[in-house]
Amino acid sequence: MNNKNLSFWLFLLPALFALVVVVFFPFLYGFYYTFTDWNGLRATTFLGLDNYFAIFSDQRFIDSLVFTIKFAITSIVIVNVLGLGLAVLVTQKIKISNGLRTIFFMPNLIGGLILGFIWQFIFISGFDAVGKLFDLSFLQGWLSNAETGFWGLVILNVWQYAGYIMIIYISYLQGVPQELLEAAEIDGASAFQRFWRIKFPLVAPAFTVSLFLTLSNAFKLYDQNLALTNGGPYGSTEMLAMEIYNTAFSRYDMAYAQSKAVIFFILVAVVALTQVYVNKKREVEL
Amino acid sequence: MISKKRQSKIILTIASTIIALIWLSPFYLMIVNAFKSKFEIFSNVLSLPSEWKFDNFVQAFIDLDFLNALTNSFIVTFLSVLIIIVFSSMAAYALARNKSKLSGVFFLVFVAAMLIPFQSVMIPLISIFGRIDLLNTSGLIFMYLGFGSSLSIFLYHGAVKGIPVSLDEAAMIDGASRWRIFWTIIFPMLKPITVTVMILNVIWIWNDYLLPSLVLSQKSATIPLRMFFFFGQYTKQWHLALAGLTLAIIPVIVLYFFAQKHIIEGVAEGAIK
Amino acid sequence: MKRKISIIFMFLIATGLLFTGCASDSGDKQSSGSGEAVDVDIFQFKVEFRDQFEELIELYMEENDHVNLTVQTVGGGSDYAASLKAQMSSGDEPVIFNIGGPTELDEYRDYLADLSDTEAASLALEGTLNGIEDGGEVLGLPFAQEGYGLIYNKEVFDQVGIDPKSLTTFDALEAAFAEIDANKEELGLDAVVAFPAMELWVMGNHLANHYIAPEFNSDIMTTFGAETINFEYGDQMKRMLDLQSQYSVQPVLSLDYSMQVEQLFSTGKVAVIQQGNWIYPTVEQMDQEFAENGIGMIAMPFEGEFEDHLPVGVPQYWAVNKNKSDQEIQAAKDFLDWMYTSDQGKEFVLDEFKFIPAYDGYDADRIADPLSQDVYQYSLDEKTIGWTFMATPIGWNEDVLASEFQKYLVDEATWEEVLQTSKESWESARQ
Repeated sequence: MNNKNLSFWLFLLPALFALVVVVFFPFLYGFYYTFTDWNGLRATTFLGLDNYFAIFSDQRFIDSLVFTIKFAITSIVIVNVLGLGLAVLVTQKIKISNGLRTIFFMPNLIGGLILGFIWQFIFISGFDAVGKLFDLSFLQGWLSNAETGFWGLVILNVWQYAGYIMIIYISYLQGVPQELLEAAEIDGASAFQRFWRIKFPLVAPAFTVSLFLTLSNAFKLYDQNLALTNGGPYGSTEMLAMEIYNTAFSRYDMAYAQSKAVIFFILVAVVALTQVYVNKKREVEL
Repeated sequence: MISKKRQSKIILTIASTIIALIWLSPFYLMIVNAFKSKFEIFSNVLSLPSEWKFDNFVQAFIDLDFLNALTNSFIVTFLSVLIIIVFSSMAAYALARNKSKLSGVFFLVFVAAMLIPFQSVMIPLISIFGRIDLLNTSGLIFMYLGFGSSLSIFLYHGAVKGIPVSLDEAAMIDGASRWRIFWTIIFPMLKPITVTVMILNVIWIWNDYLLPSLVLSQKSATIPLRMFFFFGQYTKQWHLALAGLTLAIIPVIVLYFFAQKHIIEGVAEGAIK
Repeated sequence: MKRKISIIFMFLIATGLLFTGCASDSGDKQSSGSGEAVDVDIFQFKVEFRDQFEELIELYMEENDHVNLTVQTVGGGSDYAASLKAQMSSGDEPVIFNIGGPTELDEYRDYLADLSDTEAASLALEGTLNGIEDGGEVLGLPFAQEGYGLIYNKEVFDQVGIDPKSLTTFDALEAAFAEIDANKEELGLDAVVAFPAMELWVMGNHLANHYIAPEFNSDIMTTFGAETINFEYGDQMKRMLDLQSQYSVQPVLSLDYSMQVEQLFSTGKVAVIQQGNWIYPTVEQMDQEFAENGIGMIAMPFEGEFEDHLPVGVPQYWAVNKNKSDQEIQAAKDFLDWMYTSDQGKEFVLDEFKFIPAYDGYDADRIADPLSQDVYQYSLDEKTIGWTFMATPIGWNEDVLASEFQKYLVDEATWEEVLQTSKESWESARQ
């Protein structure tokens, strides 16, 4: 096929058309309107960069950005440690390892909204009941303040994604040559040494993959946030995606919301491009 | 005497069983409380219900208009995934077989689109589609093609490159059209990646909430959208909500048990590439 | 050539597949001519009375077989606005829908048919059309009247020997709370009050309105036009907030509406809650005997002109879509008239919906439950203040004021900061 070939274009066109209409055109269209006072229907004044300047003094946006970053870092660390731990656990040769894999992965298949509602019940009623049973006061009143709201979201996120990250680690762990491990065992290396000296370096690429996957998931989190805390109490658990949504659809400030969405795009793109760069660099080194 | 190795295996088994039980505890709490009355949930959250009654499920089924929601979810997911598979595989084939610079640029455009998060286009997207009267099921399916094609083309592209061009050429000499070559020779060879593409898109679209919430009206609402029924501002009815959530999860779990191996492999593949 | 045709053909099928869907979606736009049945789609928000409402509609259709009514009820109040917006822009507009007050009136102005020629509009009680009229047109018909205040457990007050009706000042109320609190073990209470600070509407709409409405003369349109808010009665607002949270089951921010009404009040674990007459069916469902004979409502204390006044208002209005055909609009008006003015309709409104009627010509003695009776009594005595929270800037009551209240309750903000932030936000929205 080449560019002059009609079939090339006809094969390509449907997908390209959809992509342009659904992603690129709205993106540019929206970008243009960030320089105006657009309300979703019409724009009357050209504002230049005013919308963007306003963002930097918007305490609500800044709070949600800080919260999102805090959430992302905490989640990444826990999800990856736990995901790797689970991966190591289910690759041991025990009888139930297949069943374990099934169980740990399961939450990942269910929608974030549904999981958020389930966990709302767990945190509010379940934790409370366990707290009363064992007289543990820290289990009471969950989701009622900023701190438990934060940890609630982290726990939900970890529970949902650890199984997913586990799968990624497993596929790398299984790539570790068996002979190498057996040889090391014969040479008297302990289980810990075998993990740390042999498996770990070979699995290292999985870290980059998992790290960025969890990072971008954490940044774009919305459904879970909505169902679990809906940003409350007093907006303290409102993450970036929700902040943008609320600016647009509860306060109807469309142009301003879109400006925030552009900043959001830049943040996400920087994260993703860093990943591409790191990957490329590693490939060169190998 | 038990060997040291066996001993450690037993400990490992016990430990991992405990972790697995903790992992499953949210489902346990959801299911047992879905059987309780409103009253019973207030006084007893942790233990089994005093009576296994299905009243909540029946009520939730009616309130959620569950069959309708299930049908809506099924239609949206099936048609979206179908057109994603058809058009992405075609586009990927075209891009992989055309070695020109322009084709490379197009490929890059598709990949670059993955950098744009949904929230960055949602506001103008809804405004534009609202103006052309496409905030409905058809519009939604078309949007899914737009958002889903990038990753799917990327996956197909890699797979098509693995199929030797000599196959195309041989068929071409026999007088077959591109169209026929693709559907009779190439597409069948892409079956493993088609399974992956299908799984990834099904999981995403079936569970998606934000996009359909902006596009669909009440009548055509999918399952996730209906979940809000029990979480109104003035009514929170946990006994019905938990039954409704359980109902919503059942189709996913059933599918998972039938196609578990494919799903896990598919997801791993999608993530690593 | 042949293969090109087949490719084009496939492409056409695929696009056709996309667009046939759209065509069928908008197919029912045309209305029927005379003689055929008129379809009237109703899009309404009140989940609590859905079943009874559908019964009423069945009844209406039996008598009027040329009309075909269909109802969609959207769960909960918070996403009704969003769903309505989606419905309107999807091209599948309902004929009858709900709007909340002047803010939404503004937004949907182009959709609203004039209802001033309906019988119901002429029978609407004094004040219930305030905020829904524009240029001599009546753009909505009130659902019902609702009122809120402090709902108490009669038995508890009997046991401590306090008459709830006497609690019209803060000092009296505070003394009563202290007395009950001191005896809560014997009374079998967890605490005096259940204050659901998690629910933004309980604080931001209801509690706050009691001390905001007087500042605007209790008038919806004055509130809607106000460029600033001075919190003239801010001290009293603070006192009420402090009092409720201090004597509540803790932590207040983890209590929601369902815990407040069902789990704590209906089961006798608390003596007083701030709620409205709409909780009656819920309490009745939990404990019928208690609902019928054990509860009553008093106003929250207010010191000044509006002492012992209860906030009574119209929660929502019925609106008719102007962009529909004349037959559809007429059929919609006929139905609304029938519901509120015919004998059968009135019976439903009182006995089944358990509404406090917003229209003349009802037999007040038949108002079903004690809470509604209390509310109705306040309104007969003309001791009411208005509901102004439908006329504040969009989202202000919940997202700004109530959310600031939450910060105050957990010591994240001082009271001065609460008022300052809320005032600034009001002003910037009204610029």
